Order: sequence, then structure tokens, then C-alpha cells
Amino acid sequence: MEDTFGDDDFFSDGDGEPITAQKVLQTLEEAWLNEKFCPDLLPSQADYVECMMEQIQQMEENVNKLKKNDFRVEVHHMELARIRYTITSYLRSRLEKIEKNTAYILEQEALRGPENSYLSEGELIFARDFLALQENHCKQLVLQHVPPPFQDFMPTQQSLVPNLRSHVFLRAKKDVDGVVIEGDRDSRDEEVDLEENSQHIMQYKPIANFVKDGTIQLI
Amino acid sequence: MDPSEVEFIAEKERVSIVPNFNNATVHLISGDVGPFRAGLPVNVPVWMALNLRQRQKCRILAPDWLDVDKLEALKEEEKASKYFTKMPSEHYMVVAQLILSAVEDDIPRIEEIRMAVKNLWDVRISKLRSSVDTFIKSGGSHARLDYLTTMEINSVRPLLPHALDFIDRLNKASEGAPRRDLSQD
Repeated sequence: MEDTFGDDDFFSDGDGEPITAQKVLQTLEEAWLNEKFCPDLLPSQADYVECMMEQIQQMEENVNKLKKNDFRVEVHHMELARIRYTITSYLRSRLEKIEKNTAYILEQEALRGPENSYLSEGELIFARDFLALQENHCKQLVLQHVPPPFQDFMPTQQSLVPNLRSHVFLRAKKDVDGVVIEGDRDSRDEEVDLEENSQHIMQYKPIANFVKDGTIQLI
Repeated sequence: MDPSEVEFIAEKERVSIVPNFNNATVHLISGDVGPFRAGLPVNVPVWMALNLRQRQKCRILAPDWLDVDKLEALKEEEKASKYFTKMPSEHYMVVAQLILSAVEDDIPRIEEIRMAVKNLWDVRISKLRSSVDTFIKSGGSHARLDYLTTMEINSVRPLLPHALDFIDRLNKASEGAPRRDLSQD
């Protein structure tokens, strides 16, 4: 039978430049690890997730056309299971952060405005609903029973804020010069150059933008 | 991160196998594998090698670094060097573990190899622990960790980053308080 698994399935990113399924997967795997280790919520890769889900579906259809005893069936199933795990784990770690820092994340999202949004559509709805449920719960359980001056629900004061100064492990994918680590009272600001492929441990804050633009990978 | 997730990542590494069947190239989403020719070695991801081996469709060829003498040499080099040395595989520990448990009968001197991997790991981990100790005492907030493998990094997580976060918080909290050196307490 004709081999149905052509590698000519290309996707198009915003600029009309085609990218392969392999590249999409790699981006997702990197996003997964970044999200796992980053204290703050990173911009959503929802487009890549959607693209990969389509690819998975298409692959499943193709696999179903193969004979049951074809050796490729199991191999493809295993790969699809691995990709699914990566995607679910990625989405889960985002939801965990949203549940933990709901008010903070919504506040930041509002500051960034809709064209520069970090949450996907679904995540935004989830975050708002979650906050509303929390508010409702708080009111029913406590707030309505306390004297009126204390009845206000203040989400931003109650929500946890991620510690951006927390330490992370990272690998530089390209040379990054002059990363400034803020010193405290006893030590001065320290400037470090990160060579390509070198690994480091340091605070997240000074390198946050490099993680977002993909120059630095968290490990 | 859970060690099983490190294993999951390590399973993407490639190893050589000798298949006992013929098949054209398989187009996986993560890239092409094959073609498979019975008796001819081919590079496949570890997860696939283990699966094919389970189904008795191939023999796994141990990577050339998975050898008592080579591992001993790496260990000596590691002992002699002040810094961490480069490992032949980004996931040497996991790959060795997975392959050795899958190929009991194919490789001679398997127990010795296992010991050698373990010794190498022990040398590196004790070096890692003493560097972490010096690092924390020096009060630094940045360190370079070249050539540490994912499993090794994972072994000091979350302890090391949490300790640093805590020191950072104490430092910030003590701003304005009389000066005291943390390392001498």
C-alpha cells in the first residue's frame, strides 16, 4: 500500500512561512518545560496546541487505515500518546498557575490589553469563572456574616503573587550578553554574559524576557 | 519534576538497533525513522527501541560509551577535573538504566557496566553536593552549571532553588537591619 504518512504536511505561521509538524512539536516541548519551571504564566501557545491536535487527529485517521498487524500501528500509537501527554501536562501546569494566582493573572492580562494577551480564550473564561466562584464562595461562607465594613471581597489583596525573584535552571540557546542580576544591600548589581549552550541557575526576573522570546530555555 | 518525566524526556534520545524485519521509512510526527533492513543497524528513539525489543523485533546495540573501560576513563577524568566534564549523552544515567534493563542477555559484563555507571554518577553527585555547599556559603545568586545532565539537575531540585529563594527573602527582609554575615552563623 501507498505510504500515507507523507511529511509534506506543512503549517503556516503568521508570515505565511511554512513550518513542519516536527517544528511545531519541538516548540510545544520547549513551551512545556518553560511553563513547568517558570514561576509566572507565559504567553499561551494555543495556536501550536491546536495545530498539533489537528495533526494528531489526521495521523489517527491514517493509522486506522492500516492493517491491524502492521508494525507501524503500535509505533504511531505510542508516539501519539507521548505527544498527548506533553500537551496535557503543558495545559495543566498553566491551569494550576491560573488557579493559584487568579486575580494577579487577570490583573496583568488587563494591563497588557487584548492584542498582547497571554491567556487563550478558554483560559480567560476559566480564570474569570474561577474568580467569580471564589468570590461567591467567600461571600456565602464568611463575608455575609461579618459586619458591613468588612464585607468587601478584595481579590487582588487575597490572591497569591508569584515570586519573580525565584531561582530557575536555564540553558542559553544563543549568546546573551549583559544580564543584570539585581544585588541586595550587601552586594552590587552583577552583570553576567550567558554563552550559547551554557547552563546556569539564577533568578527568573532578569531573564524573563529572554524566556518569552525563546533565547533562553528553562531546564 | 518527577524522575519519570526526566525519563520521558530521555526516551527521545536515539540508539542503534538491529531490526529483524524489513520496512520502509516510518514518518513520525517527531521525524522520520528508518528505513528498516533486517540485519542492518538503524537509529531510533529509545522508546521505540524498547518497544521493538519487547516485541522481539530487534536487538539493541549499546551505545559505545556504555562500556566498562570507557566509563572508568570518564570517572577518572571527572575526578581529576575541578569542573564537571561533558558526558557522552545528555541523559547518560537514564539511557544506561533503560537499555541495561532491556537487554539483560545481549551484553556481556552487564553487572560491571552497571557498577561503572553508578560509580560515575556517585562521583558527579558528590561533586555537585560539595559545589552546592560552597555556592550557598559564598552567598552568590548566580552559578554556571555546564555539562550537568537533566537528571543531575533534577536531583538538587527543589532544594537548591528553594534555599536560594529563602536566602533572598531573608536578605530582603533584613535590609535596614544591622549587618550580619549569614555564612558565619
